[in-house]
Amino acid sequence: MASKELVTKVWIEEGCIVCDACETAAPTVFEVQEETCVIRPAALQEDFNKPLTQEIFDAAEECPVDVIKFDTVTEEVPDDQVDPAPAAAGEEPQTRPKAEQKPAEVASKKADAPASTAGESDPAIAALLKAATSRGGTAGIRRKEQEIPAGVEAVRRKDPRELPPDARQAKILEAARKAKKDPDANRRSMLSGAALTVGWCAFGTGLGVSVGPAMARFLMPNVLEEPDPRVRVGKLQQYAEMTHGDVNEDFKPQGIWMIRDGNRLAALNIICTHLGCIPNWLVNDRKFKCPCHGSGYKPDGINFEGPTPRPLERFRVFVDAGIVIVDKSKKYQYELGQWDQPGSYLEV
Amino acid sequence: MDALLAADSAMDSVKHFVNVLCEPHWFLIISVVALIVFLLGYRWFTKPVVAGAIAALGTLAFIVSCQDPNFVKIVQKADNVPIVIMIVVVSYVLWLAFRQAAINDKRLEEGKPLLEAGADDKVLVWPDLVYIELIALVICTAALIVWAIMLPAPLEQPADPNVAPNPAKAPWYFLGLQEMLVYFDPWLAGVVFPGLIIVGLIAIPYIDKNPRGNGYYTFKERPFAISTFLFGFVILWVVLIVFGTFLRGPNWNFFGPFEFWDHNRPAALLNREPRDMFWIEFLQRPIPGNYILRELPGILLLGGYFLGGPIILLVFFRRMYRQMGFLRYSVMSFLLLTMLLMPIKMVLRWTLNLHYIVGITEWFLNV
Repeated sequence: MASKELVTKVWIEEGCIVCDACETAAPTVFEVQEETCVIRPAALQEDFNKPLTQEIFDAAEECPVDVIKFDTVTEEVPDDQVDPAPAAAGEEPQTRPKAEQKPAEVASKKADAPASTAGESDPAIAALLKAATSRGGTAGIRRKEQEIPAGVEAVRRKDPRELPPDARQAKILEAARKAKKDPDANRRSMLSGAALTVGWCAFGTGLGVSVGPAMARFLMPNVLEEPDPRVRVGKLQQYAEMTHGDVNEDFKPQGIWMIRDGNRLAALNIICTHLGCIPNWLVNDRKFKCPCHGSGYKPDGINFEGPTPRPLERFRVFVDAGIVIVDKSKKYQYELGQWDQPGSYLEV
Repeated sequence: MDALLAADSAMDSVKHFVNVLCEPHWFLIISVVALIVFLLGYRWFTKPVVAGAIAALGTLAFIVSCQDPNFVKIVQKADNVPIVIMIVVVSYVLWLAFRQAAINDKRLEEGKPLLEAGADDKVLVWPDLVYIELIALVICTAALIVWAIMLPAPLEQPADPNVAPNPAKAPWYFLGLQEMLVYFDPWLAGVVFPGLIIVGLIAIPYIDKNPRGNGYYTFKERPFAISTFLFGFVILWVVLIVFGTFLRGPNWNFFGPFEFWDHNRPAALLNREPRDMFWIEFLQRPIPGNYILRELPGILLLGGYFLGGPIILLVFFRRMYRQMGFLRYSVMSFLLLTMLLMPIKMVLRWTLNLHYIVGITEWFLNV
């Protein structure tokens, strides 16, 4: 049997600079918050701290401002559990505040460890550097996987007043005191919240009603230029010579293919019904073929290739004084059975 | 002279063979098989000697191919140069990751510590990071300037809403999406599937809670996760970009890498519908007017795929099901089956000219 120094109680004094070094060294004991570091509830227990002695020592040593204090007790432990490092310092017998002895200890440990060159002279900088470079990697993952013992729950359920005060507990106590002093606080804060909500809603509604229509008007164009949807495509006799399956590309710039379907003359919309590209008329293959996704249409506009789900659309055609006029504002769709409606074709 | 002619014709037959291999269904199947073979033998393939030999062979094949005018024309196009670089970079990064995974897996088997054990994942901003950033900045700027001078950006004539270039291609990073649009209804391929990709990526942390492989390279510990990811990334993204860049030619037809881009090459791709196959060819009856009844064969096929698929997958994933529970397993298998539907539909289109499995045009529901 040999003796070993074990930590029974750990606390933090004023002056924490929230550098994260202690939480890196002993994540189950310290929790670095926004303004200070606190001891996790579980670590307020003696039994919890004892096995973590080495980590708490490390954390205290790494703390650049030396605010981590602890009490220790020396216990008899089996030989194989003795750690050489703390045993060297573990000669003092019973509980004692460790604060005064620490700087010397830090210095002595620094001497035999190959410390990084940059901050060797200043122990605070050395500790910061070590904390910054020793975390992460698989070691960090392994630490996170460590289970937090069941004692945590037990301590959490305790009344905060039974626990020694540290920063977080002090806050809880303060809140509890306030709540006791002012039993109406809850109701009052709820009322003021409701009033705020109503106020903002009223403000938003007022703004919407007054400015909304103006905004909507602003989004509309001032001038809407719509060219005449009627296109004159020449005399009817021009198309008399076409035979079934012929395609006239003369009016493609206006968005129209004139086609002959049996004894009918019709005007096809040149926009692909798949995603709106402009197909090409392939004379050799006798089909319209879209260069974007490979949709293919027969000369009458029926889809038969590629992804397009439906045939090309046809425009309204009519004759006015011998001139064929295509009205692009009226479309006829095959899948709705509209290609037989009068107006979708001209008998030739 | 005769020897020269013989060599020429031998070269031609090799080129023809490569063109045939680059037909989409062969290309896709070969890519998938190559990926599987690589994953099975990753320890051998990632050895520096083997990987170096593969890289050297690939470079040699590229240089020899550059003797062909059609190949050079496609590869040297200013738009396509980044894709050539992308293939090289993706291969290199894959090698880099799998090399480290192979070493780590071997060390795990031998009980040695991992490559990453004790590694710092922190470096000092000054000077380490700032110097690296500065050097990267200088190199990138120089490379971009040289690139811009050597390969000027392709400028074309002013856009005309009534004329589309042939072939009309999306920017390279959207070519995978454009390829998807060839096989599904626009709102599915353009809205639902890309949305599902994003939702699926968001769902990964909830589906896969396995902490192994965090912070270190490994393949042996995560074969399913890594294989699925690589299938999605390499096959369904990189290969589709390669399709769109190098193999899609005029009229959006497929062309081999040594084939002349002939605008008038005939292509007969008469679409076939499952409803025609079932009602007319199989039952020899007229197609019913009710669209639900009309599309019943396709709906049953698709429903069977998504409902029966997870059950059939259970044969392989029984242990996974026990770990994941019903809900997570359902989500995982749905995403996996949706992902697999993509290449299945593509192969069906290329081999059978299958238009849509379910084609309810009335609802714009064409799958």
